Amino acid sequence: MTTIDMTDMAAPAVAAAREKLVMALPKGRILDEVMPFLARAGIEPEPAFFDDKSRKLRFETNEPSLDIIRVRSFDVATFLAFGAAHLAVAGNDVLMEFAYPEIYAPLDLDIGHCHLAVAAKVEVAEGDDPRLWSHVRVATKYPNITRRHFAARGVQAECVKLNGAIELAPLLGLCRRIVDLVSTGRTLRENGLVEVEHIAHITSRFAVNRAAMKTRPRDINHWIDRFEEAANGQR
Amino acid sequence: MAAYDPQFPPRTEPGQAPQALLPNGLRDMLPPEAAREAALAQKLIEVMDGYGYERVKPPLVEFEEGMAGSAGTVSRRVFRLMDPVSQKMMGVRADMTMQVARIATSRLAHQRRPLRLSYAGDVLRVSGSMLSPERQFTQVGAEIIGSEAAEADAEIVVLAADALTSIGIGQNPAHALSIDLMVPPLVPLVCAAFDLDETATAEVRQALDHKDAAAMSRAAGPATDILTRLMRATGPVEDGLASLRDLALPAQAKTVLDRLSTVVDLIRGRLPDLTLTIDPVENRGFEYHTGISFSLFARGTRGELGRGGRYIAGRNGSREPAIGVTLYMDTVLRALPEAETPPRLFLPRNTPVSELARWRAEGWIVVQALEDVGSDAQGARLYRCSHIVKDGQASPTGETSE
Repeated sequence: MTTIDMTDMAAPAVAAAREKLVMALPKGRILDEVMPFLARAGIEPEPAFFDDKSRKLRFETNEPSLDIIRVRSFDVATFLAFGAAHLAVAGNDVLMEFAYPEIYAPLDLDIGHCHLAVAAKVEVAEGDDPRLWSHVRVATKYPNITRRHFAARGVQAECVKLNGAIELAPLLGLCRRIVDLVSTGRTLRENGLVEVEHIAHITSRFAVNRAAMKTRPRDINHWIDRFEEAANGQR
Repeated sequence: MAAYDPQFPPRTEPGQAPQALLPNGLRDMLPPEAAREAALAQKLIEVMDGYGYERVKPPLVEFEEGMAGSAGTVSRRVFRLMDPVSQKMMGVRADMTMQVARIATSRLAHQRRPLRLSYAGDVLRVSGSMLSPERQFTQVGAEIIGSEAAEADAEIVVLAADALTSIGIGQNPAHALSIDLMVPPLVPLVCAAFDLDETATAEVRQALDHKDAAAMSRAAGPATDILTRLMRATGPVEDGLASLRDLALPAQAKTVLDRLSTVVDLIRGRLPDLTLTIDPVENRGFEYHTGISFSLFARGTRGELGRGGRYIAGRNGSREPAIGVTLYMDTVLRALPEAETPPRLFLPRNTPVSELARWRAEGWIVVQALEDVGSDAQGARLYRCSHIVKDGQASPTGETSE
């Protein structure tokens, strides 16, 4: 077995990379609402972060000890739970879905308001008697939340996992019900669906990795405090 | 390092079972990792020996009812099988603490207290966790049975830190050892003092598990202020304890927190530079702990190196206070730099026995050829040796072996 000795050469670089804190932010809708928080917390990402053509995945900030990554909202929780990211902004929906024990979500940022709901086709909702259910088939991005929600009422939920366009599923006969995020309800209405049950109110949280909080408490608490001030400044 | 070869490992023919495929969470340990794990476990045990802990070795499998903790329930992580001889259900141990507690309160019940016991062995679990998917791994641990002293709490924490430091954890400051102290009974005591009902307490518990201040305050009612202060004390131990000094806690909760403070002073007296944090509201995975508990972390390493805490050993008439620590060798290994293959000395087939013995006596790993090979250098390559004998001296081959 070769012992290529990388330890001497690379150790400082590796150590420096590990010393840096990484904050994961979700792409899309929430990001626009998060940016003012970053500004109020005094974080300025490098220009490439705002350049849609940039292929970069990891961005530096004006804080030498803080980098930002921009990933899909579901992946934010995964990066955070495994300690690849130390800080994150994540929707409560994603945190509930995975229920990772390695994530702490100390701050409610009071942004990204919406709710998780069960919806069904209008004609299904009208003729339905939930007391008789023993099994339902549901299309959703949130199979765990869905299963838990129905199981708590003694109903077995067979989940069809989709990654988008959930509202299409009932229209095309894939299932009769969906569980999805609802903000204005317009998408539901336009697709002939009606909300039948509210599952949970959703907001975005400032979240941290558990091990990072235990091993680097000062660094992590510093950022929690800064985001808290940023959140209070807004109200 | 071997280049990536798409031909290897070879694919199994369709319809054939892949011989090398192991069930999830189980794996083969190879050289040099296997030897290293055994050596490190031995070193940890030796540190425990030095503190007067005596080794016990419980069996791999025992009757299910013997594995039940003080609460009388068997862990859901236990693999169960039926004993064809007694027709009773048996469990494969998923942890060794309960076994050691059973030994202490039964076969060693007559021995003077406090009892200090150590152990090392493999455990098997029905499923791994997210951060350590291993279903089988080695545990090394130590328990003090029959002492309620704060000194016992401190000794176990100090012992764990000492043992881990002795094998090189924290040598690189970027991977410093850090110990998180908890007091699982604290939150239930606060909730009870404010007369929160079972539902509210469960909701508080759940919110605190995620450090979710908003959800906690919705459920906690009059306990909100105290719980918020407790939650905010999470962090470096000195800051945390200082911030709680003037907190008006219910009497019982105050006693629990004072005990933590005493133990911290005792630990600090022995290990002034150790990174200690507290988390007064953490509870997950520590539900059965009855006093101070702790998790061991290495900065930058996924998962916990181990955990420990106070519990009640034994059941029914033989209940005793106990505290212990368990180290998880899979995570401990991850926190250390990769193992290096030790130097190996090549000697040809016809080397006299006395010469082989002489090199071994000098501490060399001596690899003797089983057949005639060309030159010593060729032999060294074939037998993966780093050194050959040249002019009566062990000298490096100058090649890196494959």
